[in-house]
Amino acid sequence: MRDGLDRWADPPLLVLASLAEEAKHGYAITQDVGDTMGVRLSAGTLYAVISRLEARGLIEPLESDDRRRPYRLTADGARELAEQSERMRQVASVAQRRLRANYGWAGA
Amino acid sequence: MSAPEPPAERAAGVLVRAALTLYPPAWRARYGVEVLALLDDSGGGARAAASLAWHAVPAWVSPPRHLHGGSARMRSSLATTGVAWALLAGLGAVFAQLAQAQPASQGATLAQHPVIQWSYWAFDGCVVVSVLAVAVGGVPLWLNMLRTAPRRRETAWLLAPVVVPAVFLLAAFAIGRLAGRAGPAVVVPSRSGSVAVLANGGVGPWWFLTLVVLGFAAAVLSATGPAVALRRLRPEGSAIVLATRAAMLAAVTMGLAGAASVVAALGLYLWAPADAGYHEGWQLAVYLPAVLLAVAVAIVSAARGLRSARPTAAA
Repeated sequence: MRDGLDRWADPPLLVLASLAEEAKHGYAITQDVGDTMGVRLSAGTLYAVISRLEARGLIEPLESDDRRRPYRLTADGARELAEQSERMRQVASVAQRRLRANYGWAGA
Repeated sequence: MSAPEPPAERAAGVLVRAALTLYPPAWRARYGVEVLALLDDSGGGARAAASLAWHAVPAWVSPPRHLHGGSARMRSSLATTGVAWALLAGLGAVFAQLAQAQPASQGATLAQHPVIQWSYWAFDGCVVVSVLAVAVGGVPLWLNMLRTAPRRRETAWLLAPVVVPAVFLLAAFAIGRLAGRAGPAVVVPSRSGSVAVLANGGVGPWWFLTLVVLGFAAAVLSATGPAVALRRLRPEGSAIVLATRAAMLAAVTMGLAGAASVVAALGLYLWAPADAGYHEGWQLAVYLPAVLLAVAVAIVSAARGLRSARPTAAA
């Protein structure tokens, strides 16, 4: 859905969530985000996000002899991701409770 | 022996490389190879190239801080602000020639429409402050670079803001002397005023247009010289901080002068088209967007530099 109700899928959050598993390079991030979160990140979007997250110190590049430089989550990045996912969890929890109570829908 | 690349993939590769050239050099140097590696793996096409091209805009408008030191960002913003300021100065000179320098018949118009008169005063005041800001902030940095310029080539670039305007003024003077017409002014039929009449000195519309084009070329070249010198000499320290702060003031005041000139030009066009050069719609259609664009570039760029000049920005 691309009508403004998918803010949870903000690319910076998706990249942080992907790197919470392990350090990854650009292609591995796009694969992981596509496979596990169902969102396809273009090269332009991905590297705009990577440069912003790196500037804010939320991710950091690792040394690499290859052209594919991996990135990992920093402690600040993990804290930011934890805060954001807690907010999302609260919203999801409220939404599911009310859906269950009023619509008899218990979630997928 | 590897198989030759299919034409479609080759074309996509060219597009992606072309899109990467749209990014700032520091961004390209840091991420360019990685982006190409990603596209090698995922197969970049026209869509990837379009996405890259689109994201080049924010990379210029709001470049990631970690790619530039504070001084590098200040130098980069000074260079851009300088070119935009020079273009605004050129537009201001055209405005002054087409409006303020026009015949005494404007006296009645100015009395009847004081908003035009106020706009003239605002324009003059803002231009004076802006030029002073450029002088106070720019001259120390310019002298600093002139002292440290190791080679003749850098010195030549630094002398551009002095030599190029001087050459242009000499050329304008010579054109005025050689092509100027004595006698009564020529009036274009069906209009009560024309650029031919209004180009003081009576050089005629084509020579006037030539002078305008030469003037803009001179303005851009004058600003390009210091921009190249900034890139090559990489000055740092208090002189560049002062220049960056002054550039913000210069950009804002030149922007206000541009806004005042737009108000005056609109007023002249609506109320007294015969009294000034703005008696054709197309002139405003060119002038207004040009001023808006140059003001936007100058102020955005100067603000970026100012952010870098703050002590906390370097931390």
